[in-house]
Amino acid sequence: MNSRLLPAATAALLALSATSQDQIAVKAGKILTITGPVIENGVVLIQNGRIQKVGKAADIEIPWTAKVIDASDKVVLPTWVLAHSQGGQRGLNENMQNVPWLSVADAIDPGSVYFEDCLRNGVGTIHVLPGNQTLLGGSGMVVRPFGRTVEDMSVAGNTGIKMSLLASGGGRLQQIRKLRRALEDVREYMADFDRRKAEFAKEQAAGAIPADKKWTEEYDRTKKPAIDLLNKKTKGWLFVPSVAEVDEAMRLGQNLDLMFVLGQNIDEATAVLAKANKPVILDDVFEYFETDEETQKERKVCTAKLLADAGVPFALSLGLAGPTSYPWWQLGTCVRNGIDRRQALEALTTVPARLLGMQDQIGSIAEGKLGNLQILTGDPLQATSWVDTVVLEGQVVYERSKDPRLQYLFGDEQNKASKAAGPEKAAEKATEKPAEKAAPATGDKPAGTGEDDKKKNEAK
Amino acid sequence: MNYRSLARVAGRCVPVLFLCATFAAAQEKTTAYRGARILPAGAPPIEQGVLVIAGGKILAVGGSATPIPDGAVVVDCSGQTITPGLIDASFRGGAAANDQNEQSGEVTPQLRVQDSLDPEDKSFARARQSGVTAVQVMPGTRNVIGGLGCVVKTFGSDPAAMVLKEDSGLRLVMGAEPSMGNRAIRGGNVDSMYYRRPTTRMGVVWEARKAFYDAKEAMQMTLGGAPPTANPGREVLTRALQGKLTVFTTARSEQDIRTALRLATEFGYKTVLDEAQDAHFVVDELAQAKVTVLLGAPSATAVAGTAGSDGSDPRYATIGLLARRGVPFVITTGSNLAALDLVREAMFAVRAGLSPAQAIDAVTILPARLLGLDARIGSLAAGKDADFVLWSHDPLDPAATAVSVHIDGNSVLESR
Repeated sequence: MNSRLLPAATAALLALSATSQDQIAVKAGKILTITGPVIENGVVLIQNGRIQKVGKAADIEIPWTAKVIDASDKVVLPTWVLAHSQGGQRGLNENMQNVPWLSVADAIDPGSVYFEDCLRNGVGTIHVLPGNQTLLGGSGMVVRPFGRTVEDMSVAGNTGIKMSLLASGGGRLQQIRKLRRALEDVREYMADFDRRKAEFAKEQAAGAIPADKKWTEEYDRTKKPAIDLLNKKTKGWLFVPSVAEVDEAMRLGQNLDLMFVLGQNIDEATAVLAKANKPVILDDVFEYFETDEETQKERKVCTAKLLADAGVPFALSLGLAGPTSYPWWQLGTCVRNGIDRRQALEALTTVPARLLGMQDQIGSIAEGKLGNLQILTGDPLQATSWVDTVVLEGQVVYERSKDPRLQYLFGDEQNKASKAAGPEKAAEKATEKPAEKAAPATGDKPAGTGEDDKKKNEAK
Repeated sequence: MNYRSLARVAGRCVPVLFLCATFAAAQEKTTAYRGARILPAGAPPIEQGVLVIAGGKILAVGGSATPIPDGAVVVDCSGQTITPGLIDASFRGGAAANDQNEQSGEVTPQLRVQDSLDPEDKSFARARQSGVTAVQVMPGTRNVIGGLGCVVKTFGSDPAAMVLKEDSGLRLVMGAEPSMGNRAIRGGNVDSMYYRRPTTRMGVVWEARKAFYDAKEAMQMTLGGAPPTANPGREVLTRALQGKLTVFTTARSEQDIRTALRLATEFGYKTVLDEAQDAHFVVDELAQAKVTVLLGAPSATAVAGTAGSDGSDPRYATIGLLARRGVPFVITTGSNLAALDLVREAMFAVRAGLSPAQAIDAVTILPARLLGLDARIGSLAAGKDADFVLWSHDPLDPAATAVSVHIDGNSVLESR
């Protein structure tokens, strides 16, 4: 995938860096670099969207032209990376089962609250894929949760095809049969195409077809993505709902370049998964109860811990709502179940970055990587920590002090009585809000924003 | 009985017998837990504290200088934290779900959930493992007046022995849930037992009002000298009207909360609001009326019960607001299927703006007071039941686990 993905990514980044030439210096109380040591009293210097320097405050001279973000009482981390997400889409499961030619680019809604929540949670890179209910569900893309259009948000396109073994209609075996059949159909089509092409060449050689006539037929465009999948030119992101489908997933993995997106109940399959020798993506619920059939006693299962013990690297997912939508909860759940803190942090940074083939770009704070930082009020594993600021590619894209949703949630203005009592307060709010919303865009993205703003308003 | 089920029965009984035997021995021994940070609830934290228990009761709680009786077993708890056993004042489990909603009537105040209690219910084991040592079990929320709840400790094999308090509260439900799915059967007989009423909010309120009105009328008849015929349901409601029984009104949406307050004022019974997800809309009225809110599952983003028709805006920020405005509250898990362990719900409340001490109080001493059991449970003080939890570290850290859970001094945490 690297060969396909990276040029696209670089192109997108070059385009972006042109809009963020400012130099940013983040003074941090603590920097969790993830790949390197923890730096107390550090500085991160970002230029042209990339991390230029990171180190102790004493060792780095901050240029006087740089915009300084003072986080000297806060913790700085790379933004989280999600290797698999279904959020932010409108209509994520096409009713037709076999639609590998579709793309999530057409389903992503840049105005979705999901992307706002991503920023609130410190998520900076999201691999959006079609839902789990289609056999061959179309290709995914990597986005950042900031931008007015899908193009703005795009980090990398055509990241692979979503596949699913989730039983639909006819049950588990039917689903396996359908997937095999679908892939076999494509193989037959390819064989037929190649046979006809060979015949053409043969007839041309024999003189039955004029020598100047060229073979013009191309692969059917609706089949091309699946052909790429079979030729291992593109990845498959296979949803494996439970332990019962793991064997079939392993079989498919022998001939295809597959990434496993696991469902909840895979605790008995950890040893098998270890044989695949590649990182897997966990369901957002990875701690649950299982009832013993004999004793009827419940047992708590943590699939992340089982995978860690089996030596399988894993990436964490975030839920769309509830506690599992918070990174600190997911990390805390890991540590609570005996997983090393470092491994937990890697499961939301370096491991998903590697799964996306973007390990040189994201997932840690290191020189040369993208300037994707989150500034937290405290340790990332504490419930009381809040994301204060998010910087993506050198742009400040989120500030908690200007987050209208949090102001609504934690302010008093939802109380009707007090609202009625203080009209001047309500008026104050009304004038504040639009300014806040526009702030990140006008400040950092001068090119084309006017038009995009208009579009967004119309959409809303 | 086949071999398998025999094995199952044996599997259930043997550990219980074994535990009982070891408990009898352990209970006699005086034990001192030393070195832990103690959060006694309702009192300031004690660093390097000492907790001494004997005979299932707390003998002493204090700082490192607290004398430890001769011959006591000393347990070193350095680095760990001790809290009182947590109390869940609104607990979904305790009995099978279909054992909590009686369908023979809409108004069944005389029913007692005690008769449905199942000590083997998985919810008890889960509660114990997460540090919850006492819960209030209530009838379900599908009847207008569901019946009487009780407070039980979360460990035991005989329901009667687990009960801390009988008839601890009366379940009244506002909103769409009691009428959910009710409709006249097409072409059916209205006398059919399947013909359930009411079908609207007005119907629900009317059923409740009629019941209380009847009870009030009967009370007046009694005062007039003509004793009404015995009616167990009405007698329960009479106790509520006399202020001897707290009404736990399930009211999730703003509309239902206001209705609940209105009904309570109309008939003059004492009420608390269960699962008041929309309490933030009514915060001033609640503060004024000093009505306690049982905030079910502050972590949940989805409304419990009726899939969105009750309660519009659940958010964990609500609890911070209640605290700031002086509305009395306790944290519970409630009927929300998405509820986390009680201690995690307290943790979410801290994220929402409660102080750690407030959050711990809201799952220990405050529910104990609400249930009228603060003389026995809910805090760590000499003379109280030895119900406490030893946590790996700060219980409000998402990575914390319960190292051991004690009820009446006995460790009830199954090793895993």
